[in-house]
Amino acid sequence: MLDTALAGLVNGSSYALLALGLSLIFGVANVINFAHASVFAVGAMSGWWFSVDLDWPLWTVLLGVVAVTGLLGLVINLVAVTPLAKAPPIAALLSTFAVSVVVDNGAQLVFGPETRRFPALLATDNLGLGGLRFGTLDVTILVVAIGLMLLLGWFLRATRYGRAIRAVAQDRDAAAQMGIPLARVQNLAFVVASVLGGVAGVLGGMYLNNISPTVGSTVGMSAFAAATLGGLGSLPGAVAGGLLLGVVEAFGVSWWGGNARTLITFAVLLLVLWVRPSGLFGKRTPLAAEPMTGTFFGAARTVRLKPWQVAVAAVAAYVVPAVALDDYTVQIGVQVVVYAILALSLTLVSGQAGQISLGQAAPLAIGAYTSALLTTATGMDFWLSLPVAGVVAAVLSVVLVSPSWRLRGHYVSIATLATGLLVAAAAVNFDWLTNGPSGVSAIPPPSLFGAEVSAPLAVYFLDLTILLVVLLLVVRLRRSTLGRIWSAVREDEVAARSSGIAAADYKSLAFGIGGFVAGIGGALFAQQYGYIDPSVFGISVSLLALTIVVLGGLNSPLGAVVGAIVLVGLPEALRMLEETRMLTYGLLLLAVVLFRPQGLMGKVAR
Amino acid sequence: MISRRGLFTAAAGVGATAVLASCGRLSGDQAAAAPAPAAGPIFFGVSAPLSGASAEYGKIWRTGFDLALDEINGAGGVNGRKIELLWEDTQSDQKQSVPVAQKFAGDSRVLAELGDFASPASMAASPVYEKAHLVQFGFTNSHPDFTKGGEYMWSTSTTQQDHAPELAELAKSLGTKQAVYYINTDWGKTTWKLYEEHAKKSGFEIVHSEAVQADGSDFRPSLINGRDKGADVLVFIAYYQAAALLTQQAKNVGLGQAKIALPSSAYSPQYIALGGEATEGAQLIVRFHPGDPRPQVREFVDKYQKRYGKQPDDFGAGAYDALKILAWAVEHSDGTREGVRKALLEGKDIPSLLYGPFAFREDRRVTTPKSTRLVVKGGAFTLAGA
Repeated sequence: MLDTALAGLVNGSSYALLALGLSLIFGVANVINFAHASVFAVGAMSGWWFSVDLDWPLWTVLLGVVAVTGLLGLVINLVAVTPLAKAPPIAALLSTFAVSVVVDNGAQLVFGPETRRFPALLATDNLGLGGLRFGTLDVTILVVAIGLMLLLGWFLRATRYGRAIRAVAQDRDAAAQMGIPLARVQNLAFVVASVLGGVAGVLGGMYLNNISPTVGSTVGMSAFAAATLGGLGSLPGAVAGGLLLGVVEAFGVSWWGGNARTLITFAVLLLVLWVRPSGLFGKRTPLAAEPMTGTFFGAARTVRLKPWQVAVAAVAAYVVPAVALDDYTVQIGVQVVVYAILALSLTLVSGQAGQISLGQAAPLAIGAYTSALLTTATGMDFWLSLPVAGVVAAVLSVVLVSPSWRLRGHYVSIATLATGLLVAAAAVNFDWLTNGPSGVSAIPPPSLFGAEVSAPLAVYFLDLTILLVVLLLVVRLRRSTLGRIWSAVREDEVAARSSGIAAADYKSLAFGIGGFVAGIGGALFAQQYGYIDPSVFGISVSLLALTIVVLGGLNSPLGAVVGAIVLVGLPEALRMLEETRMLTYGLLLLAVVLFRPQGLMGKVAR
Repeated sequence: MISRRGLFTAAAGVGATAVLASCGRLSGDQAAAAPAPAAGPIFFGVSAPLSGASAEYGKIWRTGFDLALDEINGAGGVNGRKIELLWEDTQSDQKQSVPVAQKFAGDSRVLAELGDFASPASMAASPVYEKAHLVQFGFTNSHPDFTKGGEYMWSTSTTQQDHAPELAELAKSLGTKQAVYYINTDWGKTTWKLYEEHAKKSGFEIVHSEAVQADGSDFRPSLINGRDKGADVLVFIAYYQAAALLTQQAKNVGLGQAKIALPSSAYSPQYIALGGEATEGAQLIVRFHPGDPRPQVREFVDKYQKRYGKQPDDFGAGAYDALKILAWAVEHSDGTREGVRKALLEGKDIPSLLYGPFAFREDRRVTTPKSTRLVVKGGAFTLAGA
C-alpha cells in the first residue's frame, strides 16, 4: 500500500513539474504547448549525454540540462508562439505540435533512436522505513521537485519579473498598459517552464532507468491531464493535479493492471471536469467568447470556387487516377479521401460550430470498429453497416462529449483530447468486444454489383463518391438555417443564447452530425485495410485531422480536401528522405502554420 | 449557369466512364504486371520502421542486411547480378505499410519483400502482396496468423506456439511461484495465452499475471502486486527495452531475490546494457546466440563484431539470415516473383545461419530446433549450466 503510494508520488512529481510548465505557459501566452513533452525528452537525453558521454557529476548535469532546455524553451517561443500572437490560439497550438514533431525526430537523429540506460547517479534501494523500501533517489526526486515548486512560488510572488508574469497571466492588456514588457515576460515564462520540464526529464530519467528520444509522449499526455485536472493556469493546481494523478494511476494500475493506465488517467480527468468544469483549483471564469477560434473568422474569408471549377475538379478526381496514376499513388489517394471525410466532420464541429476538437479519432475509431465487428462477427453486409457505423459514432460522440457543454475555451479541447485517448484506450482494454490489441482482422471488402471492391482504384472510386456526397452535405448544411445558428453560437454564445438559441443543444447536434460523418469515414477506413487495431486511432490521427482543417481553412469545406491532399500526400512525397522524413515533415508543417495561419483556402479580408 | 444537380449528374457520368475505362485495374488481380527485367540489379523491398517508436529495430535490421549484402555482392552477386534493397519507412504503422506494399507491388523490379517489423503492420499489407504474387518475408512476424494470410507470406520467426511452452518450462525450472508480465500488444497477448495454456496443463503455479503497457515506463505498481503475492520467478514477455525496465524496477521494489525468465525477444546485448546489474542471473531461451560453436555462426559473429564493434542480437542475426535466404531463393528461381515463391516452397536444404539447412513447413514457417538456454553472468550472456 504505502510503497504503491510512494511510487505514485515520485512518478507524479514528474507530472507535476511538467504540468507546472504547461500551466505557466498557458497562463502567460494562452497557448497549450504541445512541445512541452519534447522538452522533457530533450532534458532526459541531454542529461544522459552529459552524465554518460561527458561523465559530469549530477549537479553539473542539472546545470547543463537547465541551459539546454532553457534555450530550447526560448527558441520555441520565438519561433512558434510569438509570431502567431495575432493569430488565434489554435494556430499556436498547431505550431507547437509541429515543433514537437521536429524536436522528437531531431533528437532521434542526434542521439540515435536506441533506448538507453540512464545512470541512477544515486542509490535506489538503500533506505527502509517500516518494511517500505526506497532509495536516496526517490527522496531526492521528491525533495528537488517540491523544492523547485516552492522556488517557483517564491519567484512569482517576491520578484519583479515573477510579479510581471502573474500580471500578464491575469490580464494581458492591462499588464501591457502598465508598461510591462510582454515579449520579455513571455520569453521568461517559456524559459522557466522549459527548465522545469528539462529537470523533470533528468529526474524522470533516473527514476525510470531507461530513456529514448520518444520518452516524452506518454509522460506528456499524463502531464496535460494533470495540468487540466488542477485547473489550467493555476500553479498550485498543477502541483496538486500532478501528484494526485500519479497516486491515482499507481493505485489504479495496482488494482486493474498496467494496461489500464491510460484509461484511468483520462477517465479521471473527464470525471473531474464533469464535477468541476474548471479543474480542482481553477477559477470559474464568466462566460466568454471561445478563445480558441477567437477573431479567426473575422480575419479570414474562404476562397469560393465557381461551380464549373468544382465540376472540373470532381471529374478530374475520377479520371486522372484512372488513366494517369499507378496503384501506389491511387492507394495514397484513398487515404487522402478518407482523411478528407474525417476533416469534413471537423469542418462542421470546429469550423461551423466553433468547438475545437482534439479527439476526432474517437468517432473514426467507433465507426471503424462498428463496421468491422458487424461485418466479421455477424456477417452483416457492408452497405448496411455503413449507416449503422455512422449512427453509433454519432450517438456515442454526443454522449461522450456531453459533459463538456459546461466547459469553456481550452477545456473543451482538452476534454475532446481526453475523449479521443479514452476511446483508443477502451479499444485496448475491452477485449471481449474489440479483441483488444489483437484488433479485428479479415474484414471483408464490400461488394458492388456483385463485384468485390478491393483493388486500389475500385476502393478509390467508392470512397471518392462518398466524399463528394459528404462534401455536398456539408456545403448544404453551412448555408442552411442550422448552419447560421451554429455560426451564431460560434461567434457570440452570449448573444446567441440571449436570442433564445439553446446553445448546448446545437453544439450537441454539431458533434452528432460530425460524429456521423467521421463514423462513415471510419467504416471506409476499416474496409480499406481489412485490419484494424487500437494503435491505428492514436492522438496523431486526431491532430492530423485538425491540422488538415486548419491548414485548409477552418471554415472551408473545400479546404478540408485540399488540406488532406497536402498533409497526407506530403509524408509520401518525402519518402526518399528515409530517416529525416518526419523531421522535414515537421519543419514544413511549422512553416505552413507560420506563413499561412488563415489556411491555404482562406483569404485575409482587406 | 449549370445547375448543381446537372453538374453532379455529369460528374457521376464521367466517373462511370472512368470506371469502365479502367475495368482491368478494378478487378484487383495484379499478377499480370510487367515482367521483371532479366538484367541489372535484383531488388528487394524493405518495409521497416526507420522513424517513430520502433526506429531502433529498423536500425538493427540495417546492420544485418548490410553485412549480408556485402557478402553476396562481394562474391559477385546472385547469378552475376547484384542485390539492392529499396528501403521504405513505415514506422511499423499499418496506415503506412499498405501504401508501401502497393509501391513494391507496382514496381516490377522488386522480386520479394522483407518485413514489416510488427505483425499487425505486416498483416494489413498481406492482401496487397498476395494479389501481386510477391513474397512477403516477415522474418520477425511471430503472430500465428501471419503466414495464414496467403501463399506468399513466409516467415523464419519462431512462432509463439513453439516458444511459449519452452518459456514456461524455463520458468518452472527456476522456481515454484510464477508472476507473469506481458506487454499488451498482439504479440504479448498471444504468447501469454499459449503460455497460460501450457502452464495450466502442466500444473505450474502462476500467482500473478498482468498485462503492462508496451511503451510504459513505470511498472512499479504492477511489480508490487507480484511481490505481495510471494512470486519467486518473474516472467517478462516483452522486448528487451520493457524487459530491462521490468528487471530493474523489480529490484527496486524488493524483488531482487526472484529469478527472471525471458523469451528470445528480450535477447539483446541492449538488455544487459539497459538493465545493468539487476539483469545478473536472468535466464533466457533463444534460438540464436553468438557463442554457438557452428563455424557458420563463428564467422558471422566475427564479421559482425568487427564491423559494428558489438555482438549481434536476435534481430540482427534474423535480418542477415532472412536476406541470405531470399538471395538463395532468387538464385534457385527463374528470376520471377513467382519463381522466388516456388524456390522457397520446393527448397529442401535451404542454407541458414539460424536453422542450418532446412525446409519450410507446409504453413510456410520453420520448425524451430530446440532452443538454447542462456544466463546473464558477469554482465554477459553465457550458456546456462556451462
